[in-house]
Amino acid sequence: MHSIARQSRKIWIWILAVAGMGHLRADDELFEKSIRPLLETRCVKCHGAETSKGGLRLDSKAGWQVGGDGGPAIEPGKPAESRLLLALKGEDGMTRMPPKEPLSTAEIEAISKWIAAGAHDPRVGGPVKLGGTTVDEARRWWAFQPLRQPQVPGNGQRNPIDAFLAVKLAEKGLEFAPKADRRTLIRRATYDLTGLPPKPEEVDAFLADTSPDAFAKVVDRLLSSPHYGERWGRHWLDLVRYADTAGENADFPLPHAWRYRNWVIEAFNRDMPYDTFLKEQLAGDILAAEGPADRYAEKVVATGYLAISRRFEHDSDQNMHLTYEDTIDTLGKSLMGLTIGCARCHDHKYDAITSRDYYSLYGIFASTKYAFPGCEAKPRPRDMVPLAAPAEWQSTIKPHLDELAAIDARMKSTAEKRKAHVQEAQARFEKARHVMSTGEISIDGEKSITDGQATVDVKAGEMILLSITPLKNHGADSTALDFEIAEIGGSGRTWNATKDLLNAFPNGNPAADSHGNADTWWLLDTRGGPGLMSEFVKDLSGKAGLNVWRSGETPSVFVNSSAAPVEVWTRLPARTLFVHPAPDGNVAIGWLSPITGKVNVSGKIRDAHAGGPDGVGWVLEHFASDVREPMIAQKSVSAEARDLIARKTELEKNAPNPDYAYAVIEGQPADARMHLRGDPKKQGDPVPRRWLEVFGGTTVANTKGSGRKELADWIASADNPLTARVMGNRIWLHHFGKGIVPTPNDFGTRGTPPTHPDLLDWLASEFLRNGWKIKPLHRLIMLSDAYRQSADPPAESSVTDPSNSLYSHFERRRLSAEEIRDTILAVSDKLDEEPAGPHPFPPSDQWRFTQHTPFATFYETSKRSIYLVQIRNRRHPFLGLFDGADPNATTPQRQTTAVPTQALFFLNDPFFHEQAAIVADRVLAEPPETRANALFRIVLQRQPSGKDRKFAAGFLDRYAPSSAKDPNPTTADRQAWATLARILMASNEFLFVE
Amino acid sequence: MKAFSRRRFVGSSLAGSMLMPGLLSEMLAADSTDPLAPKAPHFPARAKSVIFLFMSGGVSHVDSFDPKPRLIADHGKQVTLDHPETRNRPGYEKLFLKRPDWKFRHRGESGIEVSDLFPHIGSQIDDITLIRSMHTSHSNHYNATLGMHTGSFAFARPSIGAWTSYGLGTENRNLPSFLVLAPQMPYAGTQVWSADFLPGSHQGTRVVPGAEPIANLKPRVADSGRQRLELDALKAFDEEHLSARHHDPALESRIRSFETAFGMQTEMPEALDLASETDDTLKLYGLQRGQSEGFGWQCLVARRLVERGVRFVELIHTGSSNNWDSHGNMADHGRLAPQVDQPIAGLIQDLKRKGLFDDVLVVWTTEFGRTPFNNTAENPGREHHDWAFSSFLAGAGVKRGHVHGATDDHGMRAAVDPVHVHDFHATILHLMGLDHTRLTYRHAGRDYRLTDVHGEVVRDILA
Repeated sequence: MHSIARQSRKIWIWILAVAGMGHLRADDELFEKSIRPLLETRCVKCHGAETSKGGLRLDSKAGWQVGGDGGPAIEPGKPAESRLLLALKGEDGMTRMPPKEPLSTAEIEAISKWIAAGAHDPRVGGPVKLGGTTVDEARRWWAFQPLRQPQVPGNGQRNPIDAFLAVKLAEKGLEFAPKADRRTLIRRATYDLTGLPPKPEEVDAFLADTSPDAFAKVVDRLLSSPHYGERWGRHWLDLVRYADTAGENADFPLPHAWRYRNWVIEAFNRDMPYDTFLKEQLAGDILAAEGPADRYAEKVVATGYLAISRRFEHDSDQNMHLTYEDTIDTLGKSLMGLTIGCARCHDHKYDAITSRDYYSLYGIFASTKYAFPGCEAKPRPRDMVPLAAPAEWQSTIKPHLDELAAIDARMKSTAEKRKAHVQEAQARFEKARHVMSTGEISIDGEKSITDGQATVDVKAGEMILLSITPLKNHGADSTALDFEIAEIGGSGRTWNATKDLLNAFPNGNPAADSHGNADTWWLLDTRGGPGLMSEFVKDLSGKAGLNVWRSGETPSVFVNSSAAPVEVWTRLPARTLFVHPAPDGNVAIGWLSPITGKVNVSGKIRDAHAGGPDGVGWVLEHFASDVREPMIAQKSVSAEARDLIARKTELEKNAPNPDYAYAVIEGQPADARMHLRGDPKKQGDPVPRRWLEVFGGTTVANTKGSGRKELADWIASADNPLTARVMGNRIWLHHFGKGIVPTPNDFGTRGTPPTHPDLLDWLASEFLRNGWKIKPLHRLIMLSDAYRQSADPPAESSVTDPSNSLYSHFERRRLSAEEIRDTILAVSDKLDEEPAGPHPFPPSDQWRFTQHTPFATFYETSKRSIYLVQIRNRRHPFLGLFDGADPNATTPQRQTTAVPTQALFFLNDPFFHEQAAIVADRVLAEPPETRANALFRIVLQRQPSGKDRKFAAGFLDRYAPSSAKDPNPTTADRQAWATLARILMASNEFLFVE
Repeated sequence: MKAFSRRRFVGSSLAGSMLMPGLLSEMLAADSTDPLAPKAPHFPARAKSVIFLFMSGGVSHVDSFDPKPRLIADHGKQVTLDHPETRNRPGYEKLFLKRPDWKFRHRGESGIEVSDLFPHIGSQIDDITLIRSMHTSHSNHYNATLGMHTGSFAFARPSIGAWTSYGLGTENRNLPSFLVLAPQMPYAGTQVWSADFLPGSHQGTRVVPGAEPIANLKPRVADSGRQRLELDALKAFDEEHLSARHHDPALESRIRSFETAFGMQTEMPEALDLASETDDTLKLYGLQRGQSEGFGWQCLVARRLVERGVRFVELIHTGSSNNWDSHGNMADHGRLAPQVDQPIAGLIQDLKRKGLFDDVLVVWTTEFGRTPFNNTAENPGREHHDWAFSSFLAGAGVKRGHVHGATDDHGMRAAVDPVHVHDFHATILHLMGLDHTRLTYRHAGRDYRLTDVHGEVVRDILA
């Protein structure tokens, strides 16, 4: 408010000053003679009442005092600091004005002198402007008036709605149309409240109920149905342009957005008071912290309203100014019927909304942290909001963390024990070490380790060890091994590492050989000495038969024990043995000799990861000392370590996982600067976070917060003249097919004023009187005569009220896209009526979406259509075809088109054919004489008339000759009935509610 | 064109079995509730329909239609630029001019230079108005593609085809008013042909090559006699329903939509079927007999569609991948150009032969150009360039053998008579008889336009 106040004060002071003069002063003369003509002939065309480019007006003193986007145009007494003069000269980076023909030097000099002399300007000129209107006009605008409590006309005998409507009808000599018949009425009510057709039994029950409140009972039943929220929640999701993708160039999926969708449905089902409903959507995260704890999660989820704002461009993080515009635009239209978004670049052209208003709200949202969905430039989502309150989460996670800490402590002590054993073994090894061969292989290389000349005498308990060493990085990644020891003389036994380990691998480390000796093969991490590896993973990466012993990620020994190659980081052939050294140490396979005698050692190593970074080396050693004791000592420690690792893995797998919402939290609070002409690169003055000037411009009190809580209070307030009216109008709209204000998202000067202003105010007052509850309004509306009248107008009203603006009959409407699909599934009895959860999006660590290959998958479901995936950059083929809501912009009311591509759906769509065939099967289960009845009952929820029966029989007769040729009469019958089902399901009677 | 279509309709197999579509379209014209009924333009139109050829990914102007001798002479010279694609980009601290990879030649009587990338189009240059001073507002594919189609570079808005359909309706109700032949999905997806807030009837209908070019076009009831029975019964049932009610245009137009759909099942495949075209015609487009895909197929189908009264036909070459986006190597332009060069030249010749060239406006464009520079002169690719590119118009209402505007010496910026995307749109609408400032739609309190608050008709190119 203060800028207006400031401005008014200035004007007031000026008026006082001038009033004292009483005669034409010298400075008046200067202005009239040399300044006014210049301004009026050269400036005002672009900076006046018609157009005010850059927001600047030069047709009054107030105009240049307030100035345009860059602030005041003239600093009286200071020509050098006056933007007007800079512009006239084209200085200081400003475009020279006027652009086509600049002023002459003499003219500019005249203006400069005038400014230097104090810029005396006698033009009281024009009323004080507020956006596109004047303050006075804004104060008088109908939608900004406080709600009135209009007197209900008549004698109080009628439903007030009827009383209000009857006045205007009577003026034209009209009355309501006769009451709709009961079948029509229950069908109308059921679609209006649940988006589904009534079940045939429900129709029967209503037809049979002769009690005076039969219809009221139907309405109550429908209002308590869980499908009510799925219908009315959808109206809300239309308004808030709900979608399951972010909308930036690669259209990243929003795996958590569904919670908001379901929250909306649930809120309608619970009849959450509308003010609470709004407050939680705007500031649920802040309210959640105030308790109660059991409502924490849902309040956080509610702020999905803000989070689902559209994201833009390649790097959506860098384009949040567009997202805030989307938030502000949607917020203005959906909650208050105001087109605030128009004021991003300039003051609203028609309504009382300024650019400063826009940036005051902008500051509130820029002080809020929106969950980040990921985008091509930054594919990892972040800032999802946990559903658990911080304290609650701590108490959930603590036992888990304690248990982990206990395991870690035991692991540490096991590691120390292991270290001691390993050092002992190392000491023993070092004393008797004989290197048999060493070498290296380069990338993609392969070498034999011994050239076949490696005969050695061994005693039982000695070890032959093949170590693979890293060269530079990870050492050629995976290295395939052959390692064989053959007894010379004796029983001529052989020990082949691959053969033995393929089978024995899962049984433990060390592994037995194939001659019945335990503890022959040792898989070792030799960093710091010959340490037994303790961690075993079966079916690594989900690949059956790919088993590994390892210490952490590396070093590791693998076998692919399956009969087929596996594709992991590389292709590992069937039934092979691999090792992978660590970047900082070796991996080794030791053979602990079970015999005393002479053996020959052979084998080869081969780079198994083509194109890996570099080669590996090897060392083949013989330890001529009995190493059994320190090695065997490692076994029990290793088993313990293995057990601990397994327990830790299990624990981590089952860790309490915080569920997340796609929501918002408080960010860094700060006022936003104006963006001149909407360009974020041209920043102007900061604007305090505050409420719209036309409603008082109160600033945010708690500057440590974003201001959303205050904003929520300003909007969801009984004192806000728009909120209750706008929502009351929407409820009316979805019953009668049009709003009392026919432009439901625009209550401004460009919208259409209410056809029945008293009725609107009365309805809004009732809404408030009922504590912002919506269900009582449904009852009120649906029990009126206006709602219960026939869709067929009496002859006279089609002349007097052709557009039905007086409500002289009920307005027939086509089913919405969702209703069409849900009804098709309902009549085939294939509709899954349970609510849906999340969409089966791929896990986020697999996302590689780009603008070239955006996310674009439509998941099938037999759930209700509100649960279909909504993709911003690809219209859902079915919903798009039947005028579904725009997932990119608020949709206050669906369009209804009748295009031939829709007719093609009813002619040829496989889903439609399939469902009709199922309906036919349901009908064919009946005896022949009741089939026509059954079909009409299922599809149209009514008994066929005599004509209908004749129609059905006639059709089947005509269809019969063509199907008689069919060798299988059952198939022919089924086809004929399926066709008849399609006809009824494609008919206008099916598609329209009346 | 109209007379020709009539003859087709009367001779079509549908006549006699149902309301004749030719008459139907006249009946519809009289029905003010039909959003697609033909409407009078703001002023006499020069073009009755548009064929909009869109090359996805960004065609290099300096390698195709914009010869720059200085770029060749200065090859390898360093330039200092604050360019959106290289600003703060590692490895792009220094920028060097880079000469074109194709030789330019004077072509036709007009002598306009076109490179060897498009020799066939070059051979038709005397029938083309080339705009060498195009520029746009975004250097990202998605946004520039959206801008080229809707005039909006961020927000979803109606497409130019939808605006045209909204402004003029359509002549033939057996076919949609706005058809998009797009074998692959373009950048920005279906927003490219969206009606957005305009009535849904104006939305582009996507046509893909193959068995079912439009969703649910192929009769599922194989026997057309049976489908006729089904439709007749549906109509009888609906009319019985209607007879018990007062006049309701919504019910009536839905009944009619089934007849149109029935017609579309025949007329659409027929329009897409090239069997009746002569060998000569196929040759013109570089098509083999029996070929039913490729850009040549798209171009010839486009001619057949405008012949049948479709208002706006868009052909998208490639899509959001494997397209003209030759960052890696400009040689890829050499792979793509032959796919479109002869078909486009063939389309121009064919329209002339058929006497359609005075009624049909052919528009060729891309979303932006490619940089006349790179981070080394040897870098084989070029980056996105929104400062300048080339487009062309041919046919109804535009000059022939004419060049409009120019870029600077190196093809860097549109320097002489720059034409922004908004100006381009204003000009196309103008040729269709529509004043872009008067073609508005009231949505959410604002009168929206294709050109937002911008756009000047490029009068210099009008014939």
